Amino acid sequence: MKRSPIKMLSLAIAALMLGSFASMLPADAEDSVTVNISLKDHRFQPAELHAPAKKPIMIIVKNLDPAPAEFESNMLRVEKVVTGGGTITLRIRPLDPGRYRFFDDFHQETQGYLVVQ
Amino acid sequence: MSIPCLAHLRARYCLATQFVSVDFGLRDSIIEEILSCIDRRATFRRCLFVGAALLCLYPTNSARAQDTAFHEAEDKYMFGFVDGSDIGNEGEKAIEFETTGAFQKRGGRYSAVEQELEFEQVPTQFFAYELSAHAMAHSISGVEGLDNINNVAFSGASAKLRYLIIGRGPGSPIGLTISAEPEWSRIDGTDGTQTQDYSSEFRIVADTEFIPNRLYAAFNLIYVPETEKGAADPNWQNSSGLGLSTALAYRITPTVTAGAALEYDCAYNGLAFQTFDGHALYLGPTLQINFSPKILLAAAFMAQVAGHAPNDPRALDLTDFSQYRANLKFEVEF
Repeated sequence: MKRSPIKMLSLAIAALMLGSFASMLPADAEDSVTVNISLKDHRFQPAELHAPAKKPIMIIVKNLDPAPAEFESNMLRVEKVVTGGGTITLRIRPLDPGRYRFFDDFHQETQGYLVVQ
Repeated sequence: MSIPCLAHLRARYCLATQFVSVDFGLRDSIIEEILSCIDRRATFRRCLFVGAALLCLYPTNSARAQDTAFHEAEDKYMFGFVDGSDIGNEGEKAIEFETTGAFQKRGGRYSAVEQELEFEQVPTQFFAYELSAHAMAHSISGVEGLDNINNVAFSGASAKLRYLIIGRGPGSPIGLTISAEPEWSRIDGTDGTQTQDYSSEFRIVADTEFIPNRLYAAFNLIYVPETEKGAADPNWQNSSGLGLSTALAYRITPTVTAGAALEYDCAYNGLAFQTFDGHALYLGPTLQINFSPKILLAAAFMAQVAGHAPNDPRALDLTDFSQYRANLKFEVEF
């Protein structure tokens, strides 16, 4: 059966969108590993987190400073503002082994690493 | 006869290396030379040149101090007309002003400038989208095969969907993204007349870092099917474009990236390349400046350096393509 190019294009766009929506679904909380980190005096504590490879990760960030911060990582591909005294949860996809840098986008010298093994 | 000034020679070296690698000892010797020039009442020109060299050294040493600050960077707009595979970080939202110009056809004066206002969001770590409104300005006079026109109009809307298949980083030196950009236009992009035009640009984007966090390279494969009906035309006309592009970009400082891009485009009649209409090869420089972590400016220029249209013995294809292209993006993240 020969399909017209328009139909094939429509199918390609639909598949792209379907894949995109599927990727929006949150990772299964039961399978994921939770790591905690806090921000105090514009420093991450601890500055190095550890997590297993190939498993979804939940990072819980507590901001103990009164000023807001933005947890950001180009390697983890996330960014989220955490208000002064607030807490956020970030869901990270399963990762390959390696060192993933993260930082506070409002205070760029504030940085830490997620070490995946 | 003037005595060759050591600082003069070293300053020339410094300018030639363009802030790349000059040591601190050289900086100190140039300072000594300036003092010596002043002592010897050397010519104003010589002192000026040495002073310029010192100014040149300031950013060199500044850049050296920041060497450790070359962290990972998003390469989405680094390559000008060529896309990078990065799609942004989950949670990112941005407003973008994008201006794209096409200049010069065969004879006369030709310019077609498109202004886009874009909203961009990254809802997941794998998917990003942009929604854009377009306006076009045409100024055409005495161009072969085109009517003279001068107009500015709202020209249409588009959406760009980007899906990251492989993220560059630990585990993969290569990033891979596919994108689709369906677009509706009410103004013909080439001649500025009223039209009904539906098209979509599909891209396969691959990139890598030859030197981590410094030297980036990208490759794009582009397919653009299009169907169009002029205001006075009862029939729809189908056409398609196929492109292959590549670019290199080097981060000179953590916030300034410069590079070059090469793009080869083919135009066809029919959605599936039924009849060959012409081809063109473009080459040009790129530049990206990150004014802050949330504000960036990216600029690119390309000139058609080779091309040909069937049944036209002249060099370059200026029927299907313009001679020059320029693109300017200004993004503010919030």
